[in-house]
Amino acid sequence: MGKKFYTPDGFTDILPDDCAYKRTLEGSLRNLFAMNGYQEIETPGVEYCDVYSATGFVKEEDLYKFTDQKGRLLCARYDGTVPAARFAAGIFRDEPLPIRLSYIENMYRFNQMGGGKQSGFTQAGIELLGARGAASDAEVIALAIKSALEIGITDLQVSIGQTEFFDGLARQFNLSDEDKEDIKEAVSCKDSVMIEKKASGLNSEDRQTITMLTECSGTYDTIEQFEGRVTDAKALNALRNIRNILDILDKYGYTRYITVDLGLFGSVDYYTGVIFKCYTYEVGFPIMSGGRYDSMSKVFGRDLEAVGFSMSLTLAITAMMRQGKKLEKSGAGTIVGGKTDLAIATAEKLRAQGFPAILDTTGMNEDELNRYAALKGIETVLYMREGDAE
Amino acid sequence: MITIALSKGRLAEQAIDLLEKAGYDVNAAREKSRKLILEDPKSGLRFILAKPADVPTYVEYGAADIGVVGKDTLLEEGRQLYEVIDLGFGRCRMCVAGPKELEGKLDMIPNKRVGTKYPNITRAYFEGVKNESVEIIKLNGSVELAPLIGLSEVIVDIVESGRTLYENGLEVLETVADISARVVVNRVSMRMKSDEIKPMIDRLREQVAIMNAEGREDK
Repeated sequence: MGKKFYTPDGFTDILPDDCAYKRTLEGSLRNLFAMNGYQEIETPGVEYCDVYSATGFVKEEDLYKFTDQKGRLLCARYDGTVPAARFAAGIFRDEPLPIRLSYIENMYRFNQMGGGKQSGFTQAGIELLGARGAASDAEVIALAIKSALEIGITDLQVSIGQTEFFDGLARQFNLSDEDKEDIKEAVSCKDSVMIEKKASGLNSEDRQTITMLTECSGTYDTIEQFEGRVTDAKALNALRNIRNILDILDKYGYTRYITVDLGLFGSVDYYTGVIFKCYTYEVGFPIMSGGRYDSMSKVFGRDLEAVGFSMSLTLAITAMMRQGKKLEKSGAGTIVGGKTDLAIATAEKLRAQGFPAILDTTGMNEDELNRYAALKGIETVLYMREGDAE
Repeated sequence: MITIALSKGRLAEQAIDLLEKAGYDVNAAREKSRKLILEDPKSGLRFILAKPADVPTYVEYGAADIGVVGKDTLLEEGRQLYEVIDLGFGRCRMCVAGPKELEGKLDMIPNKRVGTKYPNITRAYFEGVKNESVEIIKLNGSVELAPLIGLSEVIVDIVESGRTLYENGLEVLETVADISARVVVNRVSMRMKSDEIKPMIDRLREQVAIMNAEGREDK
């Protein structure tokens, strides 16, 4: 028996219909990003491993690694943010600020073995570098919401948190670094048992404040709930930041998509300010996430405050298919066969008028051509004979 | 519609009892059949019966919104989930066990071989907590056999009463973690279906509080 060839674990081919659909969505997003002044870049897809390890947040074992001819360690592009930060700090170092970048590219990650998660997937995202403040945060969140709406995801929930809030709270409660990490972990799992255990050294009011982090479900009311309990300047600043962001998002009419969740933490540690995740029905993972990461580009030699988001197009498409929102198949056009010179002329004429036309190059007779067209779902068959007009 | 993943066996029965006490219609789940999906459109609940180790996977991927599963499975699988309630039943301990002679001498054996059904928990405990390397031997059942016939020095396993260990001449040497049944929730469902899920969590918490209070009175 001959050897059989498959795609590697975690990777799949995209079939023509799905590919056409994906390209349509990519086109809409590309256009949306450009309309908002985000310039698309293409990074090489292969980076030095050092680029990722310098940022200190990617687990080494999650990178697809290989070497160059000199034996230096390379890896496949893991995300869009790190290469964009490298780009902005390096090749774009003399560019006036702020810098607006976008990308739509494939990412490669080792995921949990047998987890069924894709190791290769497409992300679309933007990065706003060299800009601080709530107005910039809000622009990125607004653009994330617009992106989802643009491609047809209307059942949308966006949770907004602020990493500095918990940092401030930890300082106010005099938590040791270890306790802080443990409680953060417990809050991020909404694990009330663990919170009770790890926060046992706190007084009951402070413990209640921690528990409240797991129950955030409002917008301004959630901020107000915490305002009365917080004294640390950093935490209060974080609340003010979210309030300002909400004010701006309200001008877009996006408040209804928003929930303030102060117990939301990033799955990666590079976020330094606002952080957000977007959810929809029918997929168990957030389809978009983003936030502020002010300390990343420093490691690439330029200190840039930055905020951005990325959408997993792969997940977004899955969600839409399951929500029954798949784009109508477009008609596959016309196939032209028969007498070669007439067929070529006819096909070219159709194409020039903007109609897709397939030219039969295999010399099928009329019956064969009809049969093939029926199987392929091609709407019109033209079989050219001597004397037919083009 | 809320989909609830239950760990086949006793844990599933206890979870169904609890849901009933909390006022949910669980007739579909009580149906005696070999069906793996038990659905009741009236009550808006759908139950799926899965192998315990698969429950966190179903919930993480959102195939189920909620799951009831032992903390041992959660620790071993390490999935991204909300872990909202400690149900208090299914209580036991994850332990390092071995022959009595090893009591207090565990740290003196270099390069231990550890037999276990829980390689991830074992690795996290020995490498993370005890800061030592061990050789893990993955087994699928009757783990107590391993030290008896020299496959490993010790085991890491669930201990309920300790009787199996005792009858095989083994003892608990160290406790790794306390285990009980937990309610886990998918991170997206918690937000997208909060109107149904949050009240359910509240009602279950109330029942657990009542059960715990009764439990204390019994003692």
